[in-house]
Amino acid sequence: MTFLQHIRNERARQRKKKPLKREVFNQICSLVKQYDLKESFLSVLDNVEDDLSAENLKFTRVRLKTPMESSLFSLATKDEYSLTMSIISKVDNAYLKFANSPEEILLCGPLCRLNPSLTNQKLMRYHFETLLLHERAKASNSEVPPKIDEVM
Amino acid sequence: MWQLLNSDMEFLVESDFIYLPLLLDPEIEKEVQALFRPGKPMENSGHPESKTIIAHQDRQFVKALNIHSVLENYETINAYDYKRQRKEFLRKYQLTREVDGILLDDTLKTILFQVMPYFVRKNRGLQRKKLRDEEILDLVGEKIDIPGKYYKEAKTFRDVEPLKAILKGLENQKPIFKSPGNGLLSAHQLRDWFHEAVHAKILASEHDRLTKALQIRLQFSQAKPEHAATLLYIADTGSMEMDGFGFTRKNAYKGEYFVYKRIGEYVLKDYSARSYLFPDCRVALSTYTPFRPFVMEKYKHPFLLRHKSGQEICMKHFAPPHEFTAENAIRILEEGLTALRYGYDARRRNGYHSLERTWVYIPTIDFEDYRI
Repeated sequence: MTFLQHIRNERARQRKKKPLKREVFNQICSLVKQYDLKESFLSVLDNVEDDLSAENLKFTRVRLKTPMESSLFSLATKDEYSLTMSIISKVDNAYLKFANSPEEILLCGPLCRLNPSLTNQKLMRYHFETLLLHERAKASNSEVPPKIDEVM
Repeated sequence: MWQLLNSDMEFLVESDFIYLPLLLDPEIEKEVQALFRPGKPMENSGHPESKTIIAHQDRQFVKALNIHSVLENYETINAYDYKRQRKEFLRKYQLTREVDGILLDDTLKTILFQVMPYFVRKNRGLQRKKLRDEEILDLVGEKIDIPGKYYKEAKTFRDVEPLKAILKGLENQKPIFKSPGNGLLSAHQLRDWFHEAVHAKILASEHDRLTKALQIRLQFSQAKPEHAATLLYIADTGSMEMDGFGFTRKNAYKGEYFVYKRIGEYVLKDYSARSYLFPDCRVALSTYTPFRPFVMEKYKHPFLLRHKSGQEICMKHFAPPHEFTAENAIRILEEGLTALRYGYDARRRNGYHSLERTWVYIPTIDFEDYRI
C-alpha cells in the first residue's frame, strides 16, 4: 500500500459513522435516577440468590422488557454516582448494560452464571426473568424446552 | 438559572462566583482526581480566586456564574420578572405616568416651539413679531379647549415638595449593595439575596429618573399654571391640531411623531383648461426616517401612484435631509404642499397620471369625479 493510499484509507475510516455504544454507566445511572434507588438496593442485591431460590419457577409466559428512555450522557450527583459505581462493581458482568429495570439488575448475576453466552438481541428483547426461567428450565429438564423465540 | 434558584439545592459562593454542585460521570471523576492529585501545581496559581473546582465539606463544586454579571444583565435575562418588580416599585411611589419623560422630549419641543409657529396664524392685523415660548403656549391655550383635569394636574405637577420627599425617602432607604459573602447558601437564601440586589438596582435607576423629573418640575414651578396644563395636555394626548397644522404621536415608535399641515381644497386644470376640485388632505412628515412628505389620508392625485393612504408624493430633484430639524421639517412640508397644489403641469401632464382621460395609455386612476 502506498503512502497516499494509506492516508486515503485512514481518512475514510475517520469519516465513517461510529455507532454510539451502549454504556453501562449511562444505563445504570438512568435507572438509579428514574427509580430513585437508594443504598438499601445494594443489600437487596446481596440477597438476590436466596430470594430467587424461593421463587416459583413455573414458566407461564414470555415477559417483554419494560421500555425505558435512557439518556445518552448521564451526569449524577455524588450519592447517585457512588451508588451507580457500587452496583456496577458488585454485579460486574456484560449483561448489566441491557438491564431496563432494577429487577433486571438483580437477575443479571444469576442469568450470567447460568448462561454467559446469550446474544445481545435476546438480552435487548426479553426480560431477564424470562431468560432466567428459560435457562433454568433448560438445565433442570431432560427434555428440551421450546425455543424462546417459538413461544412468542 | 431560575430553575436552580427555585430548587432545594445548595450553592457555594466564592469570590463573587456561584459554584454549583459538581455532577459526575467516570470521565469527570478521572479529571477531578487528576486535578486534586497531590504535588500537581495549582491551576492559575497567580489567581487562586479563579479555581474551577472547589472542594468544600467533602463535596465538590464547579464554577458557574458571576454574580455581578447576572445582576448587571438581569433586565435581559429575566425581562418579565424585572418589569414586574419595576412596576411594583413605581406603583409604590406613584410614578407610573411617564409625562416627565415626554416633556423632556426634544422632538416635541422642536415641533411645538419651532415648527408650529411657522404654520399657524400668530398675530392679528399686519403686526409681525417672533413669538416666545410662553406666548406660543398662550396661543395654544386660547385656541384649544383643554379639559379641566389638566389644570388640576398642573397644580400638583408644579408642587415639587412631594417629589422631593419621595426622593429623600429613596435616598434614606437606599440599600447598600452587599455581596452575599463566601460560603454555602441554600437556593432560597440566594434567591432572596438576588431579589434584594435587583431591588437596589431598580432603585438606583429610578433615583436618576426622579432627579431629572424633579429638575423639570422645578422649571415648571416658575411657569404659569395654564402653561403647565397646556404642556401636560400635549404630553398626555400626544397630538394637537391648530389652524390646519398638527402633530400626532406614533404608536409603533416611542417618542416619534407625524407632523402635518392640511392643504385645504384646491383646483387643478387639465390640458383643456377644465377644472378639477381636489379635497382637503394632510401632507405629513415623520420625525423618523425617511424624511419625505406623504399624504396621510386615502387620496388620489397625479403625483400619487395609487389611490390609498400613506403615499409618498412624487417630487423630482427632491433630496431628503438626513436629520430632523425645524428648518428641514418646514422645508419638507412646504415642498409637499407646493407640489400637490402647484406642481402639476397640464401641458406636460407630469406625474404618474394625467387629469383628463388619455386613451393612449391605460389609465389607472380616474379624476372625472373631481371635475367641476
